Amino acid sequence: MNLEKVVFGFFVLLAATLNFGFFIGDLSDPDVHNVYELFAAVVINLIATVLKFGDRTQIGAVHLATSLVADLQLIAAAIFWAYAAHISSAGLTGEATAGIVSLSGGALFANIVSVVLLVIETVSFQRR
Amino acid sequence: MAGPLRAFWRLVAYGPGERPPRRRIRWRVPAESAAQASATIFLVLRRMRWPLITVIVIFAVSTIGLTFIPGRDADGSPNRMSIFHSFYVVSYTATTIGFGELPDPFTDAQRLWVTVTIYLSVVGWAYTIGSLLTLLQDRSFRRALALQHFTRKVARLREPFLLIAGYGQTGRRLGRTFDSLGRQFVVLDAAEENIEALDLEAYRFDVPGLAADARNPDHLGIAGLGHFACEAVLAMTNDDEVNLAVTMAVALLRPDLPVIARTVSPDIEHRMRAFGTPTVVNPFDRFGDHLRLALRAPATYQLITWLESGPGAELPERGRPPTQGRWVLCGYGRFGQKLAADLRAEGLTVTAIDPAADPDEDDVVVGDGSDPDVMARADLDGAVGFVAGTDNDTTNLSLIAAARRVNPDLFVAARQNRPANAALFEAMEPDALLVLAEVVAKEVYAKLSTPLLWRFLQEVPDQGEEWAARMVDRLCGRCGQQLRTLWPVRLRAASSLAVGRWLGTGTARLGDLLRSPHDRDRPLAAVVLLLKRGDEFVLTPGDDTELRDGDELLIAGEPVARRAVDTTLLVDGVLDYVVSGRSVPSSWIWRKLSGHSRSSSQR
Repeated sequence: MNLEKVVFGFFVLLAATLNFGFFIGDLSDPDVHNVYELFAAVVINLIATVLKFGDRTQIGAVHLATSLVADLQLIAAAIFWAYAAHISSAGLTGEATAGIVSLSGGALFANIVSVVLLVIETVSFQRR
Repeated sequence: MAGPLRAFWRLVAYGPGERPPRRRIRWRVPAESAAQASATIFLVLRRMRWPLITVIVIFAVSTIGLTFIPGRDADGSPNRMSIFHSFYVVSYTATTIGFGELPDPFTDAQRLWVTVTIYLSVVGWAYTIGSLLTLLQDRSFRRALALQHFTRKVARLREPFLLIAGYGQTGRRLGRTFDSLGRQFVVLDAAEENIEALDLEAYRFDVPGLAADARNPDHLGIAGLGHFACEAVLAMTNDDEVNLAVTMAVALLRPDLPVIARTVSPDIEHRMRAFGTPTVVNPFDRFGDHLRLALRAPATYQLITWLESGPGAELPERGRPPTQGRWVLCGYGRFGQKLAADLRAEGLTVTAIDPAADPDEDDVVVGDGSDPDVMARADLDGAVGFVAGTDNDTTNLSLIAAARRVNPDLFVAARQNRPANAALFEAMEPDALLVLAEVVAKEVYAKLSTPLLWRFLQEVPDQGEEWAARMVDRLCGRCGQQLRTLWPVRLRAASSLAVGRWLGTGTARLGDLLRSPHDRDRPLAAVVLLLKRGDEFVLTPGDDTELRDGDELLIAGEPVARRAVDTTLLVDGVLDYVVSGRSVPSSWIWRKLSGHSRSSSQR
């Protein structure tokens, strides 16, 4: 067992699960989307991105790309949340929540690709 | 995707059915290190993993912690900070900007947490920035950067260039000569300080240099062995093994490229010749050949050395080495033995002095040359020539001094090993001086500057002593004591209308070409050394020689003369003037009006 692989798999999977946890629920209902979960998803996604730095294989490059996409979407969602909760006079309305959650839904898709890649990598490694 | 695009470009640039002018052949030259060099950014990223993760974790913990600590809003009622506000506070605190307690004054619990945040984040930043700085200082990182830089520079070269492996004494001399000829080159040397010396040299071109072992074909590959513009490879290191490895690599990977390799060992020379047809320069051998030539034909030797010395060379003195009598030779190693054999072949007797010589051999004195007893046994009084040929400059200098004290009339030849001692040897004024690097550099220059010069030098010894003496006088008379430039001229009827007409008349005299475009009665300060017509060579063709389309000339002279010849061959009116003496209007309309254009060339 390789500790590096454990840490890597852990963070990639955790990024996807947190993202999923935030995303699940009625799209426009602010009560079912916890902002702390969004925060945790952003942080874990950033860590997963840094862990993917410096891998020069083709699969490593795609890994990094998916993570960068997820980061971009989640950070956009976080900024959107900050705007809705603090700057906008309307506050955190159903529309704003829908925007935030759909952004995180995009990130979720990237994270799913990341997990699929992880599984492919693992499976092909087993076969060799 | 690139295929159709490339086909499109080819169609646009060259028209249908035409092929691009230069066919680039793909050589199997490895360039592994080049791929490694492009990965410098990955190296940075991989080393920065842990510092970056640390910063992210510290930020996350600080932010999330601050949102949990109970606070108070502006009215004093209990309230907690939102994630947005706490991220804001942590951001300005962690980067040591510190705006204060925003948006509301903190409670003591919050202050406690922010204190922890400050210390945590400062440590995190210090660690990250420290790692980044260490990485920039890192030797392997810097080398990777230098490699990347070098690879890019070489790949961008578009003019023909030479690949010089070994930038020691010989390499530097060659670099200076080729730079003054306007030729590009790339340098590869194992020693870092030699590559650093490149920066100190005032070259006209930006010379790419890499500190790497030339034995590695990979390094040769990134230094341009596989590059289409690479003209020739020079293996000029001090190490014969390295030179052999370079010769082999070139012969196997780029068999079409000429190689010039330096070696002092006949053994290695033999092994080099097993691979293709490299030009092998053995400085010991060449010096022996030169000395024999100097003994037999001083004027020929003088002419050859002058032409070989490169642009701007002063006329060397015509030495008069004694052709009869006995020579004393100090240092009987590889160089000494080679030299003794050459001297004996010229009918001279040689006495050798060396502490490690074989005492059974004839004419050998075993002992240290600096010992007066040993010197006395060699009998300098009865000798005519003395050679200080050890591989130690200090010894050589003191040997010369000692020998001159015994017999001031000796012809003294000295071997100089280190370039730093040049001033000392100059002050000593030996009659002949051997600098190994110089011998090699001259040979390589003669071989590579233009093929015509090499051909000319090959022909000179067969022309005899008198011819050579006349040639030297003629060069001195026309161009002075300094040989400024040597350049080839190719006459092509297609190059301009006037040249085509002139060459077509059948009365194109060489003498007309060498008239000054300002005053045709004045000859230019130039001498034609060689005329090449097809496979034929004519040495020093006379003024009445008839020129034809496709002739090549090798001319020696002032740079002004070079420009004048270029003008004559380029500008219609000038050629008409130097040939016929008539000023022809330079504009097309005036020429039509005066009806000059045909008659002038068909006089």
